[in-house]
Amino acid sequence: MDFTWSNQQRELLDAVGRFAAQQLDYNVIENDRDGVFNQDAWKKCGNFGIQGLLVPTEYGGLGMDPLTTVACLERLGYACKDNGLLFSINAHMWTAVTPLVYHGSEAQKKKYVPGLCDGTLIGGNAMSEPNSGSDAFSLSTTAVKKSSKYILNGSKIFVTNGPVANLLVVFATVDKTRGPNGISAFIVEKGSPGMNVARKLEKMGLRTSPMAEVFFEDCEVPEENLLGKEGTGSSQFTWAMTWERGCILASAVGSMQRSLEKCIRYAKERRQFGQPISKFQLVASKIVDMKMRVESARHMLYYCAWLRGQGKSAYLEAAMTKLYISDCWVKCCEDAIQIHGGYGYMTDYEVERELRDAIGSRLYSGTSEIQRNLVASLLL
Amino acid sequence: MKILVPFKSVPDPSGTTVPGAAVSAPKSVINPFDEIAIEEALRIRERGEATEIVGVTIGGPATDEQIRFALAMGIDRAIRIDDSRALDPYAVARILRALVEKETPDVVIMGKQAVDDDSNQVGQMLAALLAWPQATFVSKIEFLDNKTRARCTRETDAGLEVIEINLPAIITTDLRLNEPRYVSLPGLMKARRKPIEILTCEQLGVTAQPLTTVLSTTPPPKRVAGTRVESVEELVAKLRQEAKVL
Repeated sequence: MDFTWSNQQRELLDAVGRFAAQQLDYNVIENDRDGVFNQDAWKKCGNFGIQGLLVPTEYGGLGMDPLTTVACLERLGYACKDNGLLFSINAHMWTAVTPLVYHGSEAQKKKYVPGLCDGTLIGGNAMSEPNSGSDAFSLSTTAVKKSSKYILNGSKIFVTNGPVANLLVVFATVDKTRGPNGISAFIVEKGSPGMNVARKLEKMGLRTSPMAEVFFEDCEVPEENLLGKEGTGSSQFTWAMTWERGCILASAVGSMQRSLEKCIRYAKERRQFGQPISKFQLVASKIVDMKMRVESARHMLYYCAWLRGQGKSAYLEAAMTKLYISDCWVKCCEDAIQIHGGYGYMTDYEVERELRDAIGSRLYSGTSEIQRNLVASLLL
Repeated sequence: MKILVPFKSVPDPSGTTVPGAAVSAPKSVINPFDEIAIEEALRIRERGEATEIVGVTIGGPATDEQIRFALAMGIDRAIRIDDSRALDPYAVARILRALVEKETPDVVIMGKQAVDDDSNQVGQMLAALLAWPQATFVSKIEFLDNKTRARCTRETDAGLEVIEINLPAIITTDLRLNEPRYVSLPGLMKARRKPIEILTCEQLGVTAQPLTTVLSTTPPPKRVAGTRVESVEELVAKLRQEAKVL
């Protein structure tokens, strides 16, 4: 077993770290407070090559393997404090770009993927509905075929990138009686007649990542925008979720590393009772816990991505990776606040924001409880 | 117009290590002042005033990484003079003179100094060896008279000085000349396919024996965290007794 990066990987990872440190290390406090999405940073990431990391070169991507891809995203998370931006990028990559690349027709790929890679287009995914979250396949948005169009009706909630997306992958059923086998995926462009991106949703964390509720009222979608075949939506969704669970928290590992380093610096500088607080074993112990979480989370992440790169489904590993890293991230953020004491509770110290950002990771891409169910179902 | 940009690999001044790397190697980067020189050359080419940018560095195979970075930024071709010895500015200037005579550029743009040894000598020595005009510490470059002359703004202790020099010439860059672009991943991937020309001092017909020897190198003392004082009296006392500046 060899844990060293190749020279090429190291070069790419260095370039990502450098790019992120120079271009993405901006102040997030105001954007977080006001819920502002950084479109300029999105463009820069596109130009730099982030959104297309995993996409084959013929569609404007870099054709990277999954392991190098997650390592790049980890570097991004290390240098860029805007967790919301990174969440938006991840949602775009795993729920719009990857499904299009793998399930899209040649014409769909040529039309959309290059723009999704270079930052000119923003994608998202509309699955959850007010009454179907964890029980995703009980969705009730319908798609009825009329001549050369599908007519969509229903509403979607928690649509990441909804307010800024140029296209959404929307799941709807063509026949409710067929259950999961009736679910189909559609590429719906912004401004399609009958599509209404309603209110922007206010949230606890990841506030720089815009999220919306989207309504479809006799929304017309041309038949060529059906993604894959009718009735394959649920398998496409499960497939995409495996990618998402395995990779979406790559940047969280980078963020944990950053928090760890920040806590180490603070614990060595901050003096109480005549000595640096790092000398207190209760503080030191928290730092050790953080370090162990970062290292173990990173190994889970890399191993799962490596399996994907070997062509394995990694269904179990992806669920465990998501479950484990999200838990580590939240706990690291809690420890970081505790180490910083009252200052950690203050917005200016940028520690409390990390916790608010981290908590969502236990909810999106399947709650921690759902991940446990998945893992249990494969073990028992 | 052809531009030659010599650049040097230096230890990463930001000192960042790669988190998560099982085996972490010390990272090198292009000397930041040289990166500014590369950026300026690219901008001159983008304005249509240059047709070719040739980058050159001196070092072993490890410096290929920085060369690929320069290629990814957009220089047209790169030369590595294969010499891993610890060279001093005069040796570097003599090697570069041989290369300038071979490549015959219209202008050489390079960093005013490297951030590792801060010598600030190679540009000036190269100009002297070639008997070319020089403009050092430059924060602005314009070409005049059908690119036979350059008007350069220099940053001096007394203020900004504007001079005009005849080409061919040596220009060394200061910090405020520009802000270098970032290298994209597609650029880096493409750069891997561009060949790097390898030359030796023998091929250039130059024997550049360093005249100086570095005896030892030690990192600067670590900065200790500051302390908060309660009163002006305490501050003055500390400045007298500890800092000894009063």
